[in-house]
Amino acid sequence: MKIKYSLFTRRSFLNSLVGGWLAVLGGVFLSPILKFVFPPYREPDQVTLPLADFKDMAPNTVKNFAWGSKPGFLKRTEDGTLQAFVAVCTHLDCNVAYLPDKKKFFCACHEGWYDENGANIAGPPPAPLRRLEISVEGENLIVKKPGTKG
Amino acid sequence: MRKLRIWLEDRLGTVPIFTFLRKKDVPQHKHSFLYYTGSSILLFLGIQIVTGIMLALYYQPTLKEANASVARIMTEVPLGWIIRSIHSWSSSFMIGLVMIHLLGIMLTKAYRSPREATWMSGVFLLVISMLFGFTGYLLPWDDLSLSATKVGTDIPNIIPVIGAWVTKFLRGGEDVTGDTLTRFFIFHVCVLPLMIFFILAIHIFLVQKHGMSIPLEAERKKEKVKALPFWPNFVLRESVAWMVLLGVLLTVAVILAPSLEPAADLMAPAPEGIKPEWYFLFLFQTLKIFPAKVFFVTGEALAVLAISLAMAFLFFLPLIDTRPWEKKGKVITWLAYAFLFYAAAMTVWSLL
Repeated sequence: MKIKYSLFTRRSFLNSLVGGWLAVLGGVFLSPILKFVFPPYREPDQVTLPLADFKDMAPNTVKNFAWGSKPGFLKRTEDGTLQAFVAVCTHLDCNVAYLPDKKKFFCACHEGWYDENGANIAGPPPAPLRRLEISVEGENLIVKKPGTKG
Repeated sequence: MRKLRIWLEDRLGTVPIFTFLRKKDVPQHKHSFLYYTGSSILLFLGIQIVTGIMLALYYQPTLKEANASVARIMTEVPLGWIIRSIHSWSSSFMIGLVMIHLLGIMLTKAYRSPREATWMSGVFLLVISMLFGFTGYLLPWDDLSLSATKVGTDIPNIIPVIGAWVTKFLRGGEDVTGDTLTRFFIFHVCVLPLMIFFILAIHIFLVQKHGMSIPLEAERKKEKVKALPFWPNFVLRESVAWMVLLGVLLTVAVILAPSLEPAADLMAPAPEGIKPEWYFLFLFQTLKIFPAKVFFVTGEALAVLAISLAMAFLFFLPLIDTRPWEKKGKVITWLAYAFLFYAAAMTVWSLL
């Protein structure tokens, strides 16, 4: 079928052409701005700690270490093994504390409780504390994400 | 002098504005005090701007210096402690008045046609005011403010797809660090002020465009409401209110200066008894009482969903309650009181 008249005027065609072009240009500028605004950061796959610092820990105590910009806990259990946790509450990201007399982890922000193995037992936390794997290499303690190689 | 006035008028064309202000009337009735809440918010906003600029002369937004520079403002800068105290208290007064302003308008149904856009811009201003409070709370960089910021910036994380990006944007990374502090400072002193001025200009323009709303009963009976000339009568009364508020503010600020805890340690456990500012307490308690799991979703997701729905309801209120002017709107009144009761109860509970 042949249409007698054009469906849009020359003006509206040019308006949308120029408008669309400006929109694309704006979009092009948006990408570097967003790239700049979000800094690159990746959680470490592993951290290396001097074994000497953690060798003499008494049972049922924890020591702090830096897991990237998050705090981590190394915990000596009653039977002498070491456990590693990311010491950040799974509810809303507050740093947790370990209460040795109660044998529990505690988050003061919204009163979340975890048992000595990091399992969430009371309050709002929806998941257990994140566990990290530990291995010993010579004089060093390697703490890494579960499932990573190396 | 006359010549100068004419010269200026030819260039600026401000006469219509002054004629408008001279002719402007403020209705008088039993809810008249609500008109004063709006202008009093401006008083506190002005105080925030002046004291904020003063504080920024000494404050340093870095991980190393933030807490120490606030300590210097409190101890070494002449009158620094009272300027900080005024800034802190005035923010509370401002947010309190914003809430009274909003509740008053909700109860008197002044948001109804044609004032929908005025209401919506007002809800925007409420959100911006709360963001001002939230970003400002971090700046002294002590334990309490660090934990509050960790929680607050983690909340968007619960939203699917975009949430993680929002959290990353707010924090300047995966975690709250020194970068977050610098970012919050820029939000607090640059981004949010630009936003509040832009939206406030729209809000005030719309208030003038539609005129002051009058009570429903008067509208129903087609009564003529008594009116007070804006200039000079209303301005005079308003300045009396400002003087009283200023007096109360200064008294409170002198007697109850805010404290400063030691600098926050990013690796330390959250201190016990953390609390956000009072106007976030009801949200804080809401987050606390939701259990870990409700059916298949986490409690926090449900709590955040409920809060978002309440915000959306507030924003779209004039589009939900579209009944004509003269209808009473008991449901909305009831909802406003229910919300007030809920917020008050949660706040008291969180303080126990």
